[in-house]
Amino acid sequence: MNLLELQSLLPQLILALGATAVLMGGAWLENRRFWLLCGMLLALVAALCAALYEPPLLEVAGMYSTSLYARFCTVVWSLTIAATLLISCRYADLHCFGGGEYAALLLFAAAGMSLLSAASSFVGLFIGLEAFTLVLYILIAFNRTDNRGAEAGLKYLVFGAVATGFLAFGIALIYTATGSFHFAEALAGLQLDGGLRPLGLAGWAMLLVAIGFKISLVPFHLWTPDVYQGAPAPISGVMATAAKGAVLTAFLPLLAGLGDAAGEIKSVLWLLAILTMLGGTFAALPQTNLKRMLAYSSVAHMGYMLVALLIGGEVGGQALLFYLVVYSLATFGAFGVITSWALADEEIQEYAEIRGLGYLHPRRSSALAAFLFSLAGIPPLAGFFGKFGIFHAALRSGYTELAVIGVLTSLISLYYYLRPIIVLFMQDRSAYQLRSGCREEFILLGSCFAAILLFGVYPGPLLELVALVLP
Amino acid sequence: MIVPLEHVLILSTILFLLGLVCVLVRRNLIMILIGIEIMLNAVGLLLVGASAFWQQIDGQVMVIFLMAMTSAEVSISLAMVVYLNRRKGTVDVRAFDEMRG
Repeated sequence: MNLLELQSLLPQLILALGATAVLMGGAWLENRRFWLLCGMLLALVAALCAALYEPPLLEVAGMYSTSLYARFCTVVWSLTIAATLLISCRYADLHCFGGGEYAALLLFAAAGMSLLSAASSFVGLFIGLEAFTLVLYILIAFNRTDNRGAEAGLKYLVFGAVATGFLAFGIALIYTATGSFHFAEALAGLQLDGGLRPLGLAGWAMLLVAIGFKISLVPFHLWTPDVYQGAPAPISGVMATAAKGAVLTAFLPLLAGLGDAAGEIKSVLWLLAILTMLGGTFAALPQTNLKRMLAYSSVAHMGYMLVALLIGGEVGGQALLFYLVVYSLATFGAFGVITSWALADEEIQEYAEIRGLGYLHPRRSSALAAFLFSLAGIPPLAGFFGKFGIFHAALRSGYTELAVIGVLTSLISLYYYLRPIIVLFMQDRSAYQLRSGCREEFILLGSCFAAILLFGVYPGPLLELVALVLP
Repeated sequence: MIVPLEHVLILSTILFLLGLVCVLVRRNLIMILIGIEIMLNAVGLLLVGASAFWQQIDGQVMVIFLMAMTSAEVSISLAMVVYLNRRKGTVDVRAFDEMRG
């Protein structure tokens, strides 16, 4: 690696080396809040650097691109991690987390996600994906006094490791068929009507299984509700937003590069999209636990994003990125409210525990209601525009059946999004007074709320930005 | 290349499936982790075979990455085994089924 290559990877280097420094420093100085804020500052610096610093090379070591797209993704994931660190401040105090380790692990995760979105070869993709998956194994079981955390960690470990096996085998098969790890050549190799193309398609099937596990598509979603329920709320937030988003953004250029050879793969994706939209929606209906409901809701939303992925091209890519940002804001906000309601020994998440909470904590309850409304797609919140964009694009591209199923499942989803809101504002109260929120939490939840309102009323700038960065 | 590519493919696929069956059938966490190791080593075998077939070094480089990644994963998962064993006194995955629905 020469100096130019290092300069091109500056944001990722800031994240990874900063994480190492925080990890080392945390061993000497045990000041939790200091390290969390330190980690947040590092993530913000990385985001600024990715946004403003023009990298000298277009591609690093044939593995990572430094395109506008990759830089945009780096900014988004770094900001998510910075927000997670900030909102974890009081949560970490309550559960006596080691500040240095917690901040360092989240920064490593940010580095992994940004490498994954920037990958331009299968080797880079594999390393980026594993970098943040390994971190998540630890973070899910981070609360060492919680049996459910341990169980969630175990489930994610087994499912994640099997998915890694499938991913690696898929990559190996594609390499066997094409002789290259680099996306451009590996995908071009699949176009030929050579004898090795079936091998490449088998590799793609394996790859789809792995991706299905990672972004929890039906029928590979079984781990999702348990892991989200057991993991600490801020970590569930990261998993539902940045971790899934990073996989989707890595997959978008991959599928686009396949071009005409994607026929078989697209028909599998078509089926997965239908299954995921229906499966996620119907499984969410009977839930009586906020975190499990959000887990199934994230499954259903992955189905909508899969539709955008299928449409492809400029229209689909734009709809996908816009939806991803909007969905991430609302989901992050919802998990943020759960984080801020957490007690020292448990998190308030059962519907029975939040009955009437809206009268005790009106600001956070209304924020949660707004986030759920946005996820349901009710105007004027941003979720409505996101869904409208995807279904409109699906109709124009001839995926009428997907648009119809999407609209129907969105209507059904109103039931499970409205239910916790009604419970929150019920008159017969069974909830107890919780602690009042701290300043950081209100700032973050307020900005999430402002953002979904702003992008709902005035989506133009975000749409333009997203169209600009598309590869 | 003395060994034909098909043989490498068949052997690594069989190994991969053996590992997968081990993961699906065994209920002891350590055996599940061993199954995953077998799956990943089948991948390594295929990569080396493909690397020889295409007369390139890339596949072997990937194997090195894979080994490094696997060792990181093993260290984390064994730490997890120790932690789970301390919590419940067993490494049987059936003991961990509190969450349902």
